[in-house]
Amino acid sequence: MTAPVLEVEDLRVDLRTPRGTAHVVNGLSYTVGAGETVAVVGESGSGKSVSVLALLGLLPARTATVTGRALLDGEDLLTMSPERLRQVRGPGVGMVFQDPMTSLNPVLTVGRQLTEGLRAHGSLSKAAARARAVELLGEVGLPDPGRAVDRYPHELSGGMRQRVVIAIALSNSPSLLIADEATTALDVTVQAQILDLVEGLQTEHGTGVVWITHDLGVVAGIADRVLVMYGGRCVEDGTVDDVLERPVHPYTRGLLGALPDLATDDEADLATIPGTPPPPTDLPAGCVFWPRCPVRGDARCETEQPPLAVVAAGTGGLPHRAATWCAEGEAS
Amino acid sequence: MTSPAKGGPAEGAPDVLVSARGLEVHFPIRSGGALRRTTGVLRAVDGVDLDVHRGETLGLVGESGCGKSTLGNALLRLVPPTGGTVTFDGADVTRMRRRELRELRRRAGMVFQDPFASLDPRRTVAQTVAEPLEVHGLHPGRQARAARVRELLQLVGLDPAVAARYPHEFSGGQRQRVGIARALAGEPDFLVCDEAIASLDVSVQAQVLNLLRRLQRQLGLTLLFISHDLSAVRHVSDRIAVMYLGRVVEVGPAAAVAAGPQMPYTRALLSAVPLPHPELERSRQRIVLRGDVPSPSRVPSGCRFRTRCPDVFQPCPDVDPALQPVGSAPGHVAACHLHGVVGTPVERERPDAPVDAGDPAA
Amino acid sequence: MTQLPTPGATPAAPPPSEPLPTAAPPRPRWRETLGLLARNPTAAVSAVVLVLIVLMAVFDETLAPDGPNDQDPSRQLQPPSWSHPFGTDEFGRDILSRVVLGAATSLRVGFLSVAFALVVGTLIGLLAGYYGRWVDDTLMRLMDVLFAFPAVLLAIAIVAIRGAGPANAILAIGIVYVPIFARVTRASVLGVREEVYVRASRSVGASDWRLITRHVLPNAAPPIIVQTSISLAFAVLAEAALSFLGLGPRRPNPSWGLMLADGRGFIDQAWWYTVFPGLAIVVTVLCFNLLGDGLRDVLDPRQRTLMAGGGR
Repeated sequence: MTAPVLEVEDLRVDLRTPRGTAHVVNGLSYTVGAGETVAVVGESGSGKSVSVLALLGLLPARTATVTGRALLDGEDLLTMSPERLRQVRGPGVGMVFQDPMTSLNPVLTVGRQLTEGLRAHGSLSKAAARARAVELLGEVGLPDPGRAVDRYPHELSGGMRQRVVIAIALSNSPSLLIADEATTALDVTVQAQILDLVEGLQTEHGTGVVWITHDLGVVAGIADRVLVMYGGRCVEDGTVDDVLERPVHPYTRGLLGALPDLATDDEADLATIPGTPPPPTDLPAGCVFWPRCPVRGDARCETEQPPLAVVAAGTGGLPHRAATWCAEGEAS
Repeated sequence: MTSPAKGGPAEGAPDVLVSARGLEVHFPIRSGGALRRTTGVLRAVDGVDLDVHRGETLGLVGESGCGKSTLGNALLRLVPPTGGTVTFDGADVTRMRRRELRELRRRAGMVFQDPFASLDPRRTVAQTVAEPLEVHGLHPGRQARAARVRELLQLVGLDPAVAARYPHEFSGGQRQRVGIARALAGEPDFLVCDEAIASLDVSVQAQVLNLLRRLQRQLGLTLLFISHDLSAVRHVSDRIAVMYLGRVVEVGPAAAVAAGPQMPYTRALLSAVPLPHPELERSRQRIVLRGDVPSPSRVPSGCRFRTRCPDVFQPCPDVDPALQPVGSAPGHVAACHLHGVVGTPVERERPDAPVDAGDPAA
Repeated sequence: MTQLPTPGATPAAPPPSEPLPTAAPPRPRWRETLGLLARNPTAAVSAVVLVLIVLMAVFDETLAPDGPNDQDPSRQLQPPSWSHPFGTDEFGRDILSRVVLGAATSLRVGFLSVAFALVVGTLIGLLAGYYGRWVDDTLMRLMDVLFAFPAVLLAIAIVAIRGAGPANAILAIGIVYVPIFARVTRASVLGVREEVYVRASRSVGASDWRLITRHVLPNAAPPIIVQTSISLAFAVLAEAALSFLGLGPRRPNPSWGLMLADGRGFIDQAWWYTVFPGLAIVVTVLCFNLLGDGLRDVLDPRQRTLMAGGGR
């Protein structure tokens, strides 16, 4: 494996809330290699979005405490000065969020927003920047990019807007792209277009991708590796085949079982996970999942936090790991 | 509970509870100025023919802006139709008077998408669930009503002790159960679920899907399950109807539509659904559609899917396709010229004068 | 398709699959509001002061050391002293007593005029916002016309037509504030009308009347309540202004505005004559304004979820 683009080590995020300190991310570690896609999966409140906002310094400094290390091409994002972080965000890291309108300025044309990034971080002339903007819009599949460059965001459809956001995110050929539920608000046919597009661009530019989503179907389509988050912790990680086809953690199993399957004619009820996730202000002492776990056993689940341990050799030369006491019981 | 259908179903024909014929919901597009001139027409629902059979779950799928939600609302006259007819158990919904309409509101319930917005934050769970009882004078008396509310809460899997609480104390899944209890309070025959699971987490979605299926069987409900999530629709539905740009373009038994879609749009839609199986995903051939859905204010002539269809050919721009039997499963219909050119030629296009431009049996 | 033909039957329920909220006993909304208000010191102090002022106005006769019109030529224009803490006026009347007794007049005019504006304005705003279309156009254009007149001028015109006196002052001030309440209500109703829970209630067959009274009005109320508090401040001021101009309550019965007007002639000899009624106006108006601000914060649902706790 080549040198990782992003190396996150023991990332922790605490947020001060009126109800006490919320432990939103509790010791998250992962690496993203060049051209690799790592999917971070979890339900609402799992801490998956906060974990990337923390990397980019986008959490309110007054209430958030971020610790750990996050090396982007060897440089720690968490200890960077705000100015350096701003410089890095454009050329180093591209960002795509769920709602394209949050990243687009409604009163500027698409071209203006593209060239702004290009000219701020490069040294292009106005005309060259515009030409590059048209090129980029063509690359992300906008029909008639020469005309689209002069349009305002509201004149475009949701799918087209998201393409523009991707064009902006990739405009400075960043080494890392972070997509937070980037296709959740889109229709499936448009989602398919966007996923294809990102995959193509990624292979072309060798960009590392962190894809945050709740949709296991999307994960299966685009990810090389998967990290399942629950209660601010990584409960299972491994290659996409290992995690989705041979899940070990009861939570991952529960999530997969809860999905209705398009392919099979199934009259049986879906599996469900009883209860709701624990509030981040009051996480259980032992395994984060034990209050809802269908197979919880001895007192250890309740009192002792299971480490993220290798449960199988895994495919593709990567270990398949899970943080659960159940896997051991099964093995023995 | 259910009054016998007038005339009864014909031999072999399904017993239809709700039926739409040429249903249209057009919204005027007005200019912003003081004069408010009408500058165009938004064809949210544009000539829908659809039957919902008694006791079945009909899944209605389509992408955002296709009019599926408007259709669900129009069937219950929560949005006034601008053309066509809707019949509910034999009665014309579009011509109902106040009293009949109130009875329709009792006999047809609705579950909404966002469980955080669909409950009045200032009313307790009991007040919310009891509203249909008060409106229709059911279970009169404080005690009887409270008992019925407890019964309804139990029915949807909530502890009756929560009756006195306010919505903000509940999670999304629990709120959605309250919403379902309210919809069931009037002992309806027909339940419209409008994206009822769209804003819930995966594991909670499964709980609500299971609940809806159980209720449908236990109470003999007729369910219209509107969703953009094809997997969920496939899971709960007996039949599936696919909508595109204001029109129902394919209807059939769920298994037949899911396994053998006959309309190119349905095929593309199915192929785009991501499946949680990496190997399958890698080997799957996706049909990626060109471009965007046209605006409902500028519907293409002839077949409305022709601007994005991979199989477009000569008659598509000229003939507006009608639903015709397709595939091998009985009751499977699609509006597509690939199965024979049937429909209304564009020049003489009138919703109530269909012209067969080909042999439908071919 | 599997289907059990048991329509209407209510079978035994499966066990609830989620833990139920058990954190706090159910609290009525208004109790919660009061609790939150108590945590906002400025608003809480204002509320307490206002309650004291209202109590003072209610028990004025018992509280006032002297009668309102007890004249005593031997003590004209005396500065504040132990026997007359606020001093006396040109007829030797005790100013403390007149401030206490004037509270009743000033507050009565304030409360009644705002009550009038509240009822009429809210009704107009409710109808305009809920029914929209021509109802909205007609009513709100009418309000615009009313709003276009300078408030005091309009009040003066009304009093000029109907004659001076407390009743007409109330009517005049009330009419002036109708458009404000109509606008605030309409804006709030427009938002609430589109809420999904209103559509949900309509879907179960609720009538317009029921929707308006049970869902729209209660949820549209917070800005109206805030407006009421702020309008009370302005109404007390307006009463003072009208009285000052001689268009309000008539002499010799005291009102704060009248006392200001009368004291004006003696401002260089007897500062206490104007300062104490003026102070009474300032304190009352300030408290209504601060309470209004506090209510605005407390009734804001975002604030509520942040501060209330116990929910999810």
